[in-house]
Amino acid sequence: MVNLAFGKQTTQGLPGVIDLLFFGRLGDLAGEVDRSVSCIESRATPLAIREWLALDHQSLAKELCEPQVLVSVNKMIVKWDQPLFDGDEVAFLPPVTGG
Amino acid sequence: MTDLVCVQTDDFDLAGEYRRLRDISSRVGAVVTFCGLVRDFESSASDIDPDAPINNLTLQHYPGMTEALLADIIAQAKTRWTLYGVTVIHRIGTLAPNDQIVFVGVATEHRKQAFDAAQFLMDYLKTQATFWKKVTADGKEQWLDTKGSDNDAVAEWGKSRDD
Repeated sequence: MVNLAFGKQTTQGLPGVIDLLFFGRLGDLAGEVDRSVSCIESRATPLAIREWLALDHQSLAKELCEPQVLVSVNKMIVKWDQPLFDGDEVAFLPPVTGG
Repeated sequence: MTDLVCVQTDDFDLAGEYRRLRDISSRVGAVVTFCGLVRDFESSASDIDPDAPINNLTLQHYPGMTEALLADIIAQAKTRWTLYGVTVIHRIGTLAPNDQIVFVGVATEHRKQAFDAAQFLMDYLKTQATFWKKVTADGKEQWLDTKGSDNDAVAEWGKSRDD
């Protein structure tokens, strides 16, 4: 578990754990499919997580910026600026290829 | 339950699935079934020689979300056609050439509804359900990309709704 702080910690920020899931090629680039991060910033969003991931996973972050990559929170597709809360499950979804 | 959605590693039995749909109601006048298989070649993977024989295909999915999306796709189909029963089965895990991957079956009163609904379900499954395919061939592995023709097929359904 890593500590995930987006810039300055805010006083109203509640500590929480967010589960990150990387599917398809994103899992290969992240090095794992499932990863928990501890979040100490109240304004955490998928976008902020993507920016944080770019710090040491450049190839992953580049792929996450592709317009076809969708993000879901608790299994619902959301916009990248969706606020996150303790216990949320964030999944990064590359274009699907079933059937 | 007249609808069945399964995401499973196990194989499925075409005859048994047909029988289930046939037996749902005596009003059923048409059953269309589609079965997708693993090909032994893959021409859409840029890193892999299109002539190289496929060793296997690995199917990954997002448990919970996939089943919800498939149920939603079935619900969308039911706003277009009267469907007495629908079956969607998708396999996950490692599959070999000639293995069955996906089954879609529809029971309706008349054939056109059944053909159209089965095609609609497959078109939406391919572009919206959270499955990802990795192909292994020629000592290499590659996650596949969505085909443009699959997105076009769904766009056509959107147009036909607007008519």
